[in-house]
Amino acid sequence: MSTGWSLWVMFLVVLNLGITFALFLWAPRAKIPTRPDGTTGHVWAHGTILEGLKNLPMWWIVFSGAMFAAAFIYLFLFPGFGNHKGALGWTSHGQLAREVAANEAKLDPLLDRFRLYTVEQLAGDPQARQMGKVLFEDNCAACHQRSGTGNILVGAPNLTDGDWLYGGTGKDITTSIHDGRSGVMPPWASLGADNVKNLTQYVLSLSGAPHDAAKAAAAKPLFATCAACHGAEGKGNPALGAPNLTDHVWLYGGTPTEIEQTISNGRQGHMPPWGARLSEDQIHVIAAYVYHLSHPADEGQP
Amino acid sequence: MAYKHFEAIEKHAGLLGIGIAIMVSLGGLAEITPLFMEAHSVKAPPGVHPYEPLRLIGKDVYVREGCYLCHSQMIRALRFETERYGHFSTAEESVYDRPFQWGSKRTGPDLARVGGKYSDEWQRLHLMDPRQVVPQSNMPAYPWLAHNTISAEDVQARMRTLRKLGDPYTDAQIAAAPEAVKGKTEMDALIAYLQGLGIANEPAPPAGKATDSGAVAGATP
Repeated sequence: MSTGWSLWVMFLVVLNLGITFALFLWAPRAKIPTRPDGTTGHVWAHGTILEGLKNLPMWWIVFSGAMFAAAFIYLFLFPGFGNHKGALGWTSHGQLAREVAANEAKLDPLLDRFRLYTVEQLAGDPQARQMGKVLFEDNCAACHQRSGTGNILVGAPNLTDGDWLYGGTGKDITTSIHDGRSGVMPPWASLGADNVKNLTQYVLSLSGAPHDAAKAAAAKPLFATCAACHGAEGKGNPALGAPNLTDHVWLYGGTPTEIEQTISNGRQGHMPPWGARLSEDQIHVIAAYVYHLSHPADEGQP
Repeated sequence: MAYKHFEAIEKHAGLLGIGIAIMVSLGGLAEITPLFMEAHSVKAPPGVHPYEPLRLIGKDVYVREGCYLCHSQMIRALRFETERYGHFSTAEESVYDRPFQWGSKRTGPDLARVGGKYSDEWQRLHLMDPRQVVPQSNMPAYPWLAHNTISAEDVQARMRTLRKLGDPYTDAQIAAAPEAVKGKTEMDALIAYLQGLGIANEPAPPAGKATDSGAVAGATP
C-alpha cells in the first residue's frame, strides 16, 4: 500500500474510533432534560407509555470500554492501522509457514523411518498404509476408485488384481506415480471393419474366451502388426504398457464390442505425473499402499 | 455538543439513516478503496499470459454454466488448504480473469490448481456425467457442451473487447483465433481451460519438499 493510502486508512481508523469513543465518553454524562414527573416527554401509544430516564447500566459501560481496549490492543499488535505491521510482526504467510513447519516436525520421525524401507517392506507397515490410504483417496481415487479397482471408462487399471501394465515392483509403481503413464495404442480402423471384427475374435481366442474360430484364424496373420507391442503370443510388454491379452484382465472391457472399439479407435489412456504435485515421501507411501492393495496377505511390520 | 442535536437524530429516521450510512461506510472506505484504486499495480507475473482463444471460451463457458457457484479458485494461506490443493493463490495470478473466480463457495473442491491433475479423457467423462468416474459425486452433468460449437467471430470479438480493457492481445493472435477454435466444441474449450488452471502461473516451484508445496510459503512476501 502506498503511503497516501496508508494515511487514508489511518485517517478513517482514527475518525471511526474517534467518533465512537467521543460518544462513549459523552453519552453517560449527557444532560437530558426531563419534565417535573421525571419523564423525557417521549410518548408512545397515544400517551399511555411515557419514556423515563435511567443511566446506562454499568455492565454496558464496562463492556463497551473493554471493546475499545481490545480494538486499541489489536491495532497495536496486529496489522490494521495503515502500513503499521503490528508489534507481533504477524502475517498470514508467516503463520502458514509455522504451521507447515510444526506439521513437518510431527511427521518427520515417521517419514524418516519410512525412508529406510523399500516400497515392498513399507506395504507391511500399518501406519504407512493408513497414511497411504488417505493420500490415495485424495489423489488417486478419482480414476482408480476408492477401492483401487479402477475404471474401464477412463482406462484406469484395477490395482488390486496383481496384474500390472508397467510392472508391479515397488520401483515400477513409484515410477508410474512419479512420472505418470501414457497409453500409445494407435487406432486400427484403417484395417477395415471386417479385419477389425476378425482381430477381435483372435484377441478373444488368446485368453480362451468363447470366439469364432474361423474368423480368429483369418486374423492370425494380421496380428503380426499387433505383436510389435503385445508380443507374438500376445503376452504384452510392460516397457510399453502393452497389456497381456492372454489373461482375463481387460483395461477397457473384454466384451467383443469393447474389444472392437479398442482396436478401431485405439486407446491413449493417460495417468498424469504426480512428481510435481506430491512429495517424494508422499509418493513412497502411496506406492506402498498400492503395493499392499494387490498383496493383502503381507501383513505385519516390515 | 448538546443533547438537542441527538434528539434531532433520534426523532428523524432519515437523519438516523444517514448517520448510520456514514459510520458503516467508513469500514468499506478503509478496506475496499485502497485495493480498488491500486488494482493497476497488480502486474502479471512471468508465466501468466492472456487466455489463448480456446481457453478464453472455456473460461466464459465456466462462468456461463455457473461453475463458480460450487467451485472456488482461491487456495487460502492455510495449511489444510495448501496441503490439499497446492501453493496458496495470489492476486497476480488472476490479472486476466474477468471476472475473477476466487469465490468462497465450495460445494465441490477448489479448482485453482486443478490443471493436469486428471487426464483430458477423465475431464470429458466427468463433465458428461460425473458419476461415471466419481460414484459419490453430486455434480450435475453438462452433456450439451459436447455439441455446442464455437463461433470464430465471437472469439475474436471477445479478444478485441478484452484488448480494450488492457489485455495485451496482438493483432496476429486475434487473426489466428479462428484457426485455434476450428472444429472445437465448448466441451473441448472447458477442458482446455480446466487443464490450464494453476499450471503456468504457480508462484513458487511446487513440491519436491519434505511434505508439501506449502513449505515454500514462508519465502513469499
